[in-house]
Amino acid sequence: MTSNSRLPLIIGVAVLAILPFVVGNAYLQHMLVLWAIYALLALSLNMIVGYLGELTFGHAAFFGIGAYTSAILSMNYGMPVWLGPFAAAIVAGFFGAVIGYVALRIVGPQFAILTLGFGSILYTITNYWVDLTRGPMGISGIPPFSLPGLDIDFTRADRMYYVALIALLLVAYGCHALMSSRTGRAFIAVRENAPLAASTGIDVFHTKLLGFTIATALAGVGGALYGHYLRVITPDLMNLQYVAALIIMVIVGGKGTIIGPIIGAGIYVALLEALRVVGSLRLVVFAALLTLCVIFLPGGLVSLWRRYAGRGAAGGAA
Amino acid sequence: MTAPLLAVEGLTRRFGGLVAVSDVNLTLAQGEILGLIGPNGAGKTTVFNMLGGTFPPSAGRIRFAGTDVTGWPSHRMAQLGLTRTFQITSLFPTLSVLENVRAASYRRAKARWAGAFLRTAAWKQDEAEIGRRAEEILDFVALGHRRDMAAQALPYGEQRKLEIAVALGADPTLLLLDEPAAGMNPDEGAKLVQMIRAIRDRGVSVLLVEHHMKVVMGVCDRLVVLDHGVKIAEGAPQDVASHPEVIRVYLGREKVGA
Amino acid sequence: MDFIVFGQQIINGLVNGMGYVLIATGLTLVFGVLRIVNFAHGEFYMLGAFLTYYALTLFGVDYLVSALLATVAVAALGIGANKFFFRPLRREHEFTILLSSLGLSLLIANGAEEIFGADPKYVMSPYADEAMELGPFVVTEQRIIVFVAAAVVMAGVYWFIRYTRMGKMMQATAQNPEGAALTGINTDFVHGYTFALACGLAALAGALVGPTAMLFPTVGAWAVLKGFIVVVMGGLGSVTGALLGGLLLGVVESLGGGYISLGFKDAIGYAIIIAVLLWRPQGLFSVSRSSR
Repeated sequence: MTSNSRLPLIIGVAVLAILPFVVGNAYLQHMLVLWAIYALLALSLNMIVGYLGELTFGHAAFFGIGAYTSAILSMNYGMPVWLGPFAAAIVAGFFGAVIGYVALRIVGPQFAILTLGFGSILYTITNYWVDLTRGPMGISGIPPFSLPGLDIDFTRADRMYYVALIALLLVAYGCHALMSSRTGRAFIAVRENAPLAASTGIDVFHTKLLGFTIATALAGVGGALYGHYLRVITPDLMNLQYVAALIIMVIVGGKGTIIGPIIGAGIYVALLEALRVVGSLRLVVFAALLTLCVIFLPGGLVSLWRRYAGRGAAGGAA
Repeated sequence: MTAPLLAVEGLTRRFGGLVAVSDVNLTLAQGEILGLIGPNGAGKTTVFNMLGGTFPPSAGRIRFAGTDVTGWPSHRMAQLGLTRTFQITSLFPTLSVLENVRAASYRRAKARWAGAFLRTAAWKQDEAEIGRRAEEILDFVALGHRRDMAAQALPYGEQRKLEIAVALGADPTLLLLDEPAAGMNPDEGAKLVQMIRAIRDRGVSVLLVEHHMKVVMGVCDRLVVLDHGVKIAEGAPQDVASHPEVIRVYLGREKVGA
Repeated sequence: MDFIVFGQQIINGLVNGMGYVLIATGLTLVFGVLRIVNFAHGEFYMLGAFLTYYALTLFGVDYLVSALLATVAVAALGIGANKFFFRPLRREHEFTILLSSLGLSLLIANGAEEIFGADPKYVMSPYADEAMELGPFVVTEQRIIVFVAAAVVMAGVYWFIRYTRMGKMMQATAQNPEGAALTGINTDFVHGYTFALACGLAALAGALVGPTAMLFPTVGAWAVLKGFIVVVMGGLGSVTGALLGGLLLGVVESLGGGYISLGFKDAIGYAIIIAVLLWRPQGLFSVSRSSR
């Protein structure tokens, strides 16, 4: 990257850093936190949908697993909260690896159906294993995020925002680094043409499994942050609404890019609030957005900007 | 006399009750261009697919560069240096021409994700090297001027050249070409012959399956002829062309040596 | 083992299974002929149930007539859905089409919640309370109707596909889309017809099964998942597979729910789907090897 193209990025990060002060009120700051967490989740889904080119309907389950893992470990086993995201990543990633190992053998639309099935099983288990998860009532009173030795009140949105933002930026940078490495290129090659990728030496199954596991681990991280911020979680985190929301963020924003899911998350949070007056009609709006994008703008909003800015004819990873 | 690069022994493949390939032996020496020919249904594609790792043989052994690779999947064969092309145009469609070749350089890349994350000097060097190699390969197939174009946007003839560039990007020692001359006019066929020779000059041995007799006669050092799954002749092109069995099998189809 | 309880479970399972068969047949037909995995399929089940409800309660139409009207109405809707959500994408990657079906599903489900309200509805079928005795077993009339109607319809569908001209065109289009078009078959028309048939079957399932449970606008997700489980078991595109798979799922769920745990009844279906996809990815009953 030349220093030329670095400048807008630095400005962007700086703007993000001062946003809580710019918006001023706690309500909007709360939305910023949600945006940052959703953006992280959307980036994790993007790894599967955008980079590996597989559609998964079970991603919200890993988000839920992360949230529950961190909550249960910190409340029942005294794990320090700041370790939560790491524990969540490990547990969610483990489930992702197991499910991926089983499901990724299947190619084609059956894979999406399989992930839907697995997601439903996880939801059912979470709902019924009351001893562990308190079932449909969910877990409340989750301790807020805390850093050892630092006396910062992370129940405040404008404090938690920075935790979420740093996590988001790390993940975004990680994705960027991934796509400039041979592993990331392997993801894309598998997405574009799996048999051809195999003929160049890429182990397609292991590549997909790696991507899937990383994505689910990251979803777990998002879940942990979500849990310690909202401090209440229920099995509904794993339901179809959340799955649909994440898919919408990735598709409307622009799959296969880094800025796309981040923008998509922003649009989702913004519209969720702006359309609050129309109640559940906003879900219809989201559905319409998704469909319109799929039919008319498959590359998402990012592709609009690309077209306008006159970038080259080729795709690839941002 | 050094060991052959590729040694195939007793290669057999059954599909249910049908025996598609039966007890085929062939060898390919380093630096050789071997042609696998035969009428339609002779089993050439089946042999090719077994060599390329698409499916394992029912019986027989395949040795490549001294290693027994019988039944290995494609990606492991490729990691050893055996790369194949596909009959139907096979590219990374939305990637640019340059990115297509870079994507193929998986086994050459040394730096891992950690290197990219930390932006180490080793990673930067590796990336630059891959880029250089890709550019060089594009120049070799004369597609340098198309480097930023999306692969799916290329005209057909250039797509076929890109396929070869992608295969070369994987840095093979043996390249299996699946009907590279399909759909080509005589002019393009002649250029293909030159390209295959140039590939051999780079140090890559070639095994090709082909129907286009002018190309086959023009570029192959040796031929292996199959019919109904069995090898019926082997040897230098002119010898094979005058072999009575071969003539009989091709009679009414394409004249050998035309 | 109590024979009567066991037998009762089997009968319940078969009845439920028939409902699944209706849902799954439409899903598998759409896949076979149009090559589309329609995630929105369950929404047509939901619409079938709701339209029956409204015809019955708002207009006082007889239950069976309501069911019929709902089926026809939803079939017509299906034609529209195909036209706007799938036809424009017919040359796209299956990923895109699946996404489009997700969008359609969300539109219908959330739209229904808006229009019908999120509270559950109860379809007052006159047959739901009357029970009949079949030997030692007791079955509500509604359930008998579900089974008999579904069986009759399925027999009709079978006969239709095998012996009528349109049915054969559907088969041809499923086996070889380009070849079918080359022989003069209007594949667009066949697609529309198939889709209408599929939606009609799903709607009929909703109309028939509706009175046996509370109706929520979100029931579509449940229905489509059941449909997928059966279709995956039976093999994508196989109507016979949908029939056998549906009945099998119904019975297994019923036995599992009765003897193991009611709460995990649904999870059994998911576990089955996973086991089947791993052992025989092309489905338990399909004859040909799936290339997908």
